[in-house]
Amino acid sequence: MSSGVGVDLQDMWIKFGDFVAVREANVNIKGGEFFSFLGPSGCGKTTILRAVSGFLEPSDGKVLIGGNDMAGKGPNERPTALIFQNLALFPLMKVWENITFSMEVRGASADERRKRADELLDMIALSGQGDKLPSELSGGQKQRVAIARALCAQPDVLLLDEPLSALDLKLRQHMRTELREIQKRVGITFIYITHDQGEALTMSDSVAVMKAGIIDQISDGKSIYDDPATAFVASFVGENNVFRGKISKIIDGQAIIDTNRTGLLRGRVSSMAQGKLSVGDDAMMFIRPEALDISEEKSASDTRIIANVRHSEFEGQSYNVFMEGSAGKEMKMALTNRGETRLYDADVELTLGYDANQAVIVPAGELASE
Amino acid sequence: MNGFMKEYFRRNGMLLGWTLLFLVGFWVIMLIILPQISMLDFSFRNHLPPPEMGGPKDTYTLVNYKFLIFGAQGNEDGYNKVDLLVFLRTLIAAAFVTILDLLICYPIAYYLGQSKGGGYIRILVLLLIIPYWINEILRAFAFRIIFGDSGVINEFLMLFSIIDSPIDFIRANIALYAGLSYAYILLMIFPMYNVIESLDRNQIEAARDMGASWYMIHKRVVIPFAKPGISSGCTMVFMLSAGALAAPQILGGPSSLWFTQLIYQWFNQGGNWPQGSAYAVVLLLTCIVIVLSVMRIFKVNMGDIGK
Amino acid sequence: MKTESPLIRFGLAIYLVLFFTYLLGPLVLMGITAFNSASFPQVTPWEVFSFEWFTTLFNDKRILSGIGNSLIVGFFTVILSVAMGLAGALMLTQIWPKLRATFYTVIIAPILIPGVVLGISTLVFWDRVNIMLGLSDDSFLRNGIFLTVLGQATFISSYCMLVFVARLQRYDLGLTEAALDLGATHVQAFRKIQLPFLMPAVGSAAVLAFLASFENYNTTTFTFQDYPTLTIELAQKVRYGIDPSVSALAFIIVVITVFFALLNEVKTRRAQLAIANGAPVGAVSGSFKMPGFFSGNPAAVVLTLFVAVVVGTIAYSQFYDPEPAKAVLLKEKRAAQQLRIKALQERVRLQRLEKKLKGPDIFGSGNSKVPQPPSKSASPFGNVFAPTNLEKAAGTNKDEKKPAPKKPGTSAFGNVFAPTNLEKAAPKE
Repeated sequence: MSSGVGVDLQDMWIKFGDFVAVREANVNIKGGEFFSFLGPSGCGKTTILRAVSGFLEPSDGKVLIGGNDMAGKGPNERPTALIFQNLALFPLMKVWENITFSMEVRGASADERRKRADELLDMIALSGQGDKLPSELSGGQKQRVAIARALCAQPDVLLLDEPLSALDLKLRQHMRTELREIQKRVGITFIYITHDQGEALTMSDSVAVMKAGIIDQISDGKSIYDDPATAFVASFVGENNVFRGKISKIIDGQAIIDTNRTGLLRGRVSSMAQGKLSVGDDAMMFIRPEALDISEEKSASDTRIIANVRHSEFEGQSYNVFMEGSAGKEMKMALTNRGETRLYDADVELTLGYDANQAVIVPAGELASE
Repeated sequence: MNGFMKEYFRRNGMLLGWTLLFLVGFWVIMLIILPQISMLDFSFRNHLPPPEMGGPKDTYTLVNYKFLIFGAQGNEDGYNKVDLLVFLRTLIAAAFVTILDLLICYPIAYYLGQSKGGGYIRILVLLLIIPYWINEILRAFAFRIIFGDSGVINEFLMLFSIIDSPIDFIRANIALYAGLSYAYILLMIFPMYNVIESLDRNQIEAARDMGASWYMIHKRVVIPFAKPGISSGCTMVFMLSAGALAAPQILGGPSSLWFTQLIYQWFNQGGNWPQGSAYAVVLLLTCIVIVLSVMRIFKVNMGDIGK
Repeated sequence: MKTESPLIRFGLAIYLVLFFTYLLGPLVLMGITAFNSASFPQVTPWEVFSFEWFTTLFNDKRILSGIGNSLIVGFFTVILSVAMGLAGALMLTQIWPKLRATFYTVIIAPILIPGVVLGISTLVFWDRVNIMLGLSDDSFLRNGIFLTVLGQATFISSYCMLVFVARLQRYDLGLTEAALDLGATHVQAFRKIQLPFLMPAVGSAAVLAFLASFENYNTTTFTFQDYPTLTIELAQKVRYGIDPSVSALAFIIVVITVFFALLNEVKTRRAQLAIANGAPVGAVSGSFKMPGFFSGNPAAVVLTLFVAVVVGTIAYSQFYDPEPAKAVLLKEKRAAQQLRIKALQERVRLQRLEKKLKGPDIFGSGNSKVPQPPSKSASPFGNVFAPTNLEKAAGTNKDEKKPAPKKPGTSAFGNVFAPTNLEKAAPKE
């Protein structure tokens, strides 16, 4: 597995005229890794993918694949295969011709290609469908043909550009598992582009979160979720209650911030922000809805929030309670469904508590827009 | 620009990139731009026998343009009335043909554009196209058969004693106008049809719902929407009518020359190329000016032409 | 349309009938004149149903060589125009955005430039190049076919370009990228992916280009030199006196056109039906299946009838003999000749009347010198360019008044559609 070919981006800039699409990207993708770029549309993640696959030349910096500089090499000279967002299956070719196109252009014989196509069709559970046209397949089947076509080129690195975005929810979730399994089986490096945090977190070994051409954080999924590096990452990945304020005290990896509306609150300083915050700095604290709970025993005053219920709803695995704190501060709490009814009427006053280690403090910054 | 070329070859590769560049370059430079410049250059030269070309007499001159305006030297009138009149009449007649075509074609374009398709409409469209595939000369020929002294119309009129002797439709230019309008019907219909087809039927329904009359619907809803198609069609018909040669030669009355016929005479009968070039340049410039002003007046883009 | 008042619907119906009469009437009438034995193309008076004008047509050397030249010019024009039009369209999709509008204007301009101007500029430019290169007067740069092809391709490429632009708008550039990504070279990606996608457009562009080339007159008339195309020959023929063999040619062209139009319609319709029925695309382009061929496809029915009528007519022409009918006509004409004096008197009366109507000839053209035959004959369609032709035209008028069998070369009516002639015509059906 670790023998796969890695990809390195070194100080890579990509500019279109005056517009900077990617700013100083430094990424080290290990061989055999499932690596995701996560970000809202227009953040430059597809641009990075096109630079890796060779459709774009970086304005500055380098792309290395397996340690080799790719400068000046076109897409047909790189050991990469790309799965396009719309799949780009050749509409006039049969499924098996689509799959073995990479062999056709290298001059392989029809027999050879047919044999290889059958193997790959077996692998993607589409045996016997080789003579159909892509237009006769369902969405999920097309998806698998696109994967087979890319794998047939025997790339060292497979690049996937939001390949699941056109599928419906059920199929999407199923394909996540399938993609992950294929990746484990073939053992090559996967670079995956998505704006869907669920896809990134479930499948990836590592995730890079991007905003407006800048990579904010690269780490494994759990760290991205539990230990975000910036306000953007915290607000983009998952839901969060955000509290703005100034640092009033720093104690041993934790800090107390003075929020204007909710008073003093305690939280843990994000590991990436350790040492970068000092007293008086503008900061933000994020508490996940599921990290809030009804305060049964009185918790310390700096991890306690008083709020009035606006409305609450039942969502199956949890109850969502929407509340308003002092000075109109809106908050959301998710209570796990353990069998008892936890729907609250409007205007009921609740005392909420949380574990200070589950509240993350980062320097103040831009939030992801809804 | 350099970056563009780099990107261009990156996208197309060397072989394909150069092939494309060569083909486009040949077309644009050798077939479009240089010939026009060459014609312009020629129009400013003296009419010389081949041995003297490039000799001392081969200088630039305005004599060819002067001839169009003032006529031959020693002309009593002061102006070349004959040729200028032909020029003016060609433009007016072309405008007349354009308006005629617009009137004939608007209803059919609207009807086809707003019908909900189906085999019947497809057949109608097919019928529209078929005459366009027939040779230009033959179309003019058909009109000569119809409008001739012993043509169908004269025979018909005389059969019912409406007239005693045949009407000379050719001399009256009726055959010419009918033939020209006929020749360019399709070029008027299709731009309009394409635009009207994209007009949401609900808009017409809504207008009718609000009590708009049939006239108001067209004036306020359909025509403003179809404007790009209308001006595109009118531009093409006008240009082609003004530049027509076959129909005037075959259907034109003896006393009414078309401007293109003058050009033709300078080349094929007079052998005076510079003079013919000057006339052609005048025709070309006039057409350019007219097209540009129509586009300016009706606020139409070049991109709308030729849809 | 349903909510229109009856008055408007009635008006619309009248308008549609008038419109299509205007559109198709001339072609129908011209077709009919091809079968009238009268030596001027006319519907009335009807003399005798005859195929003789087709024979005349197939024996006309100039028309035949004109067709040959047209085919040669058409062939090269199609190749050049499709290639340049495609290159132009591809370039348009990827040219520097700031240049795009200018580039588009330049390559669309030939459509709007008058054809005569294109012909002249082509002629003048290549003549200049010829001189600059110091080549002889009969170099290929002065060759009629070379000049005609270039002149026509100048604007026909623009038509082709428009066809390709329309098709390219629906092309996903991702497909080319996918091919490159899978290791194809640029040429391979173009040939295996983009070109197959563009193939229908290549087909229609080629047809369009050929038709435009075949019927072009304005440009060709300046460039043809020693290679007159069919259109040029026709124009000469029509300008200097006309006979129904031109109608015969027009009739053949109309028949071929209608045939291919119907064939195309049938194909389109079948494809639509098949897709509507959810049939796999492969089956659509498959072979004809007779039962399914007609179902829900009126065009197919029309096409079949059409072919049957054409084949029937050709078969009929083989043994049809207009001679007895001609003899009858001749008898009648002789009888009519006995009343010649009376007819002459009538003519004089008409002539006077006409003079009164028209008044003096205000145009003062050469026409007035030639006495105008009153009716039933072609008036000289005043040919302003060559006064000598008036005599020629007047001469043919005299011929027309004679009984037909006296015309030389047309006496053997019995075998007008000799088998050898039919062979030439047959492949067209």
